[in-house]
Amino acid sequence: MTAGTTEEPTDGKVHPPVDAPIDHRRHVSDYFRLERWELPSDGGDDRPASLGGRAPIDGHQRGPGGGLRTGGLLTNLDSLGGFASGLAALPRWIVTTSLLATVSELDHVGPLRFRADVLRLGRSSVVTALDVVDEGADDRHVAAATMTCAILDPGAMVLDFERPFSLAMPPPQPDPSPPEEFFCIEPGEGPVTRLLLEDRLRNPWGILHGGAVAMLADEAACRAAVAHSPAALGPNGVAAADAVLHYLRPVKVGPVEARCRVLGTRAGRTTVRIEIHDVGSDDRTVTLGSVTVLAV
Amino acid sequence: MTFNDYPPPEHILGDLGMEAELTTETTAKVRTRVTPFVTTADGGVRSGVLATLVDIVGGAIAARVLRPDWMATADMALQLVGPVHGPWVEARGTVARRGRTTLVIEALVVCVDEDGADTLVDGRPADPVAWASMTFSVLPAQNPSSSVQTAGELPVRWAFEGGGLDRPILEVLPVEVLDAAAGRLSVGVRPYLYNSFRAVQGGVIALLAEAAGAEALGAAHGLDGASFVITDLQIAYLALGRVGPVVTTVRVLGSGPDGRAGAVVELRDSGADDRLMTVVNVSGAPAAVLAGAAT
Repeated sequence: MTAGTTEEPTDGKVHPPVDAPIDHRRHVSDYFRLERWELPSDGGDDRPASLGGRAPIDGHQRGPGGGLRTGGLLTNLDSLGGFASGLAALPRWIVTTSLLATVSELDHVGPLRFRADVLRLGRSSVVTALDVVDEGADDRHVAAATMTCAILDPGAMVLDFERPFSLAMPPPQPDPSPPEEFFCIEPGEGPVTRLLLEDRLRNPWGILHGGAVAMLADEAACRAAVAHSPAALGPNGVAAADAVLHYLRPVKVGPVEARCRVLGTRAGRTTVRIEIHDVGSDDRTVTLGSVTVLAV
Repeated sequence: MTFNDYPPPEHILGDLGMEAELTTETTAKVRTRVTPFVTTADGGVRSGVLATLVDIVGGAIAARVLRPDWMATADMALQLVGPVHGPWVEARGTVARRGRTTLVIEALVVCVDEDGADTLVDGRPADPVAWASMTFSVLPAQNPSSSVQTAGELPVRWAFEGGGLDRPILEVLPVEVLDAAAGRLSVGVRPYLYNSFRAVQGGVIALLAEAAGAEALGAAHGLDGASFVITDLQIAYLALGRVGPVVTTVRVLGSGPDGRAGAVVELRDSGADDRLMTVVNVSGAPAAVLAGAAT
């Protein structure tokens, strides 16, 4: 339940839409079937030391690297890290401002097990470390990340959680759609990729889920790398790995456009700078970051 | 040049000979000369040195944009993207977003000549060397009048003057390798490494993390630390390192078939109850892989 965006510049409060009829808070994380549970605090207080998570890798979510697509990995990190940060910040809540992820393995057996540890709870921000291991490969470490969240007044948002918090793994989807389809990413190629802002992609604040932004960044960077140079391609194509995402502003209207610039290709890795815009909100820049695309 | 007596006369920024310029209200550039004392085995400049450049350019912009408030670096990401042609590397920073509590700055590192013009390769500007981004936390001014004065004292152009490096930068710090395979490295805290808060400067932290990651990942590949190049740094600054020595530990992540690998580096202030100062996710590859790669 993370908002995946940074603070509003006006009054510091984020106001959920009063006419929102859908409970959006689990839809995106349900797609990746992320199970979550709160771990006991080492410090003996009621703030969470950490949160555990576990997700299978369904066939339709695997990418050219063989394992869970990095956009999916980032979505799970965003969901788990955001929730851990939010629980630490109660009675206030959080929005993600940056997600920095190092992805060292793309070929996962699965399921993947996640852990989020709050490293620092300040007056205005929370920093959380995230770790991912592949249970099916003897708990091999596959990724690590750090997430920074800004603490905000939750406004009218209801923040009532049974503690210790737990959420069972959602069931498989009867009619699974690939990530590009679920996240409403338009087919295409080249340096610009578009996402249509369907209601199901909004988070509890009513804005685009940070995981959807991550999936857009993954797809857009891969398309840009391929369009830039055939040297980016491996036998199985390309796959996104390390990612840096700064969530600058919330996405409210859409469509959402990722504009990419290839900065360089070296030793089978292409670095892509990404600027994401909310076209319907005066084309304002909502996310800035980079993605490393690997030949696989 | 010193800025409220910072940096002191003997300081790493002076020895790196950094030259800075505020180009507009929201942009700046900082450069340093490429010497053998700051390069890696593949011919590039150490990611930790480039992170130092980026830290300075970001800090210069933030000091101007946030006045009368002050700032602390919250996170930084840096990726090496292309080869270094020299003779200088220059970080060019710009504001991406000014929020109420945070400031996000983007920087591109390029090669420039003696006059500051882009280095040309085959008649056109060389590709970028690195891309970086950083988040600053805004610290409300405790004494607005003094910080206004401080910000106002910042000149348009300045240089950190020092004697220059006479040996590799890790020897100058100096970094002591306690256990290469475990990535246990140590550096003492002294004025030479201070930031303006009299704690270890953010770029030095990046350098130490880079060195620790290279030692541990190199050992995991049967190489020494100098033969493994850290190309990516993702840094979360949690607490200042004031007492020291600062000691690193490394957890190695998985590794790809081409030797590309990642690790998590933790830096702790051993003299302050082992307080966790910084977490750095690093990734890189053997120098031989990078040196043989076309661009």
